Amino acid sequence: MNRNLFLKEMRRNASSLITWLIVITILITVTMSVYRTFMENQSKITGMLSIIPKGALQFKGISNFNDLLSVLGFYAANNVIYMMVLGSIFSIVLSSNIVLKEEYDKTAEYLLTRPITRSEIFFSKLAVIGVNVFLLNFVTAFAGFICMELVKKGPFSVTSFLILSFYTLLLNLLFGSIGLFMSTLIRRAKPVTTFAIGMVLILYFIFTLSKITESISVIGYMSPFKFVDMNVVNPDYRLDIWHLAYFLGICLLLTGLSFRIYKRKDIYV
Amino acid sequence: MSIPMIDIDDLSKTYGKARGIDHINLEINEGEIFGFIGPNGAGKSTTIRILMNLIFPSGGSARIMGMDVIKETKRIKTQVGYIPSDANAYSSMNVREFLIYCISFYGIRNGEQRITDLSGLFELDLNRKITDLSLGNRKKVSIIQSLLHNPKLLILDEPTTGLDPLMQSVFFELLRSENQKGMTIFFSSHILGEVQMLCKRVAIIKGGKIIQIEEIDNLRKKQLKKVTIESEKTLNKEMFILTGIENFINLPGCKISFMYSGNINELIVFLSGMKVINLTIEEPSLDEIFLHYYRS
Repeated sequence: MNRNLFLKEMRRNASSLITWLIVITILITVTMSVYRTFMENQSKITGMLSIIPKGALQFKGISNFNDLLSVLGFYAANNVIYMMVLGSIFSIVLSSNIVLKEEYDKTAEYLLTRPITRSEIFFSKLAVIGVNVFLLNFVTAFAGFICMELVKKGPFSVTSFLILSFYTLLLNLLFGSIGLFMSTLIRRAKPVTTFAIGMVLILYFIFTLSKITESISVIGYMSPFKFVDMNVVNPDYRLDIWHLAYFLGICLLLTGLSFRIYKRKDIYV
Repeated sequence: MSIPMIDIDDLSKTYGKARGIDHINLEINEGEIFGFIGPNGAGKSTTIRILMNLIFPSGGSARIMGMDVIKETKRIKTQVGYIPSDANAYSSMNVREFLIYCISFYGIRNGEQRITDLSGLFELDLNRKITDLSLGNRKKVSIIQSLLHNPKLLILDEPTTGLDPLMQSVFFELLRSENQKGMTIFFSSHILGEVQMLCKRVAIIKGGKIIQIEEIDNLRKKQLKKVTIESEKTLNKEMFILTGIENFINLPGCKISFMYSGNINELIVFLSGMKVINLTIEEPSLDEIFLHYYRS
């Protein structure tokens, strides 16, 4: 890894990271601030939720309405879109651009002609992705934790919260590795941001569809969101070892392939 | 015998079915200013990008200072400066930040002094944002970044694009001075004039192949001129019994043109016996020189 490149990339991405952090933290805070009102108007909201199809609740990890009464259940059900979908979009946009950007911004000829190997460039940029994704997850999870502490009506399982946060981190890292892999496959450099965002949304849509339509539930396995267990109020909630292997396996495979391709890639500007 | 600064051995590059370069062989000695000339798309940038390990060859090999350009690229780049034909610096930086970033890879002390000296020479404002710079000023940044670490070898790919004549002259003077201190220069261009002005030896590349490697002095001795004659009567090749005439072409009307490498005075004396309406003697275009080399 090259320290100069790492620091330059961290500075280059700092404003983007800060923007995403602020947006997601505000969304979580606003959502969690509703929890007390929600608890005070339980009976009215129960009536409203009773007309929502069970599948629609299930895709948010709610097996029954009582799950929402727990602060952790409420957090998981309502913040999934921010923490997981927005976090994944951040990861895939960052990773799909961080290497490719040098090519379509025509700066690659300056970087690659310095005394630095492609391995050093790749791992410096990979470290930037890792640190950025970790910071995004850490800060937003911490904001979520503080919010839950402030609005809770009773105790909640910190272990379950940590496991859910870990799942979110794994999901974001997986999308990071998909973005990186995608960018190394592109021969003629051009931004892939729209395609990357589209991919996250489509995979989330597939997951949603599989949850609300039992007959096609099998298609959910096409989406990484399927492998995140959001049923945090389940007393047996734990980190599934196979799901962990799925996330780590795909991350390592795609990152390894990206490295191999990048090492031998012709760089055009 | 000393190791060549650049040693290209049977180097090829294909892009799918398209040709890049085709079995190129080239040897450039230490201390040379070597010209690499050819029209756009001839393969100049492809060759240079292989040397800089930006792209990988389909066949053959290349060494710089005896080191393989793929396996030992990091070591090579500590001693090589490179000016790309078309590159942008990081838009978020100003000139000073970019140059400091460039020099940070070499672990050089007093780098800032070198930045100040070179930017002063090229009258470049270090505090301006890269995005605000004109093409000429961006080229100056490119030139400066290539020289910051006092490289032993400088590889230039169309380095004068965008530079005004005054700055071109400053740049050429700097290159000559660096060359006198021992720097080897590999100068790629499609402009014959600037290559002739600077280089001692030149390789001509066309269609991915090197068609001629020539001492510039020999090239000058040939003094190839393009002659166009308009006459009252129809002219034909048989009428021109004069050594040094090649590529004779009949043009519409009573006009002809040919490439002439002989003595101009002899040509004028020869033409005085003809009823010439118009006579043009001009520098041939690069393509015409290439054609000449192809045919000869």
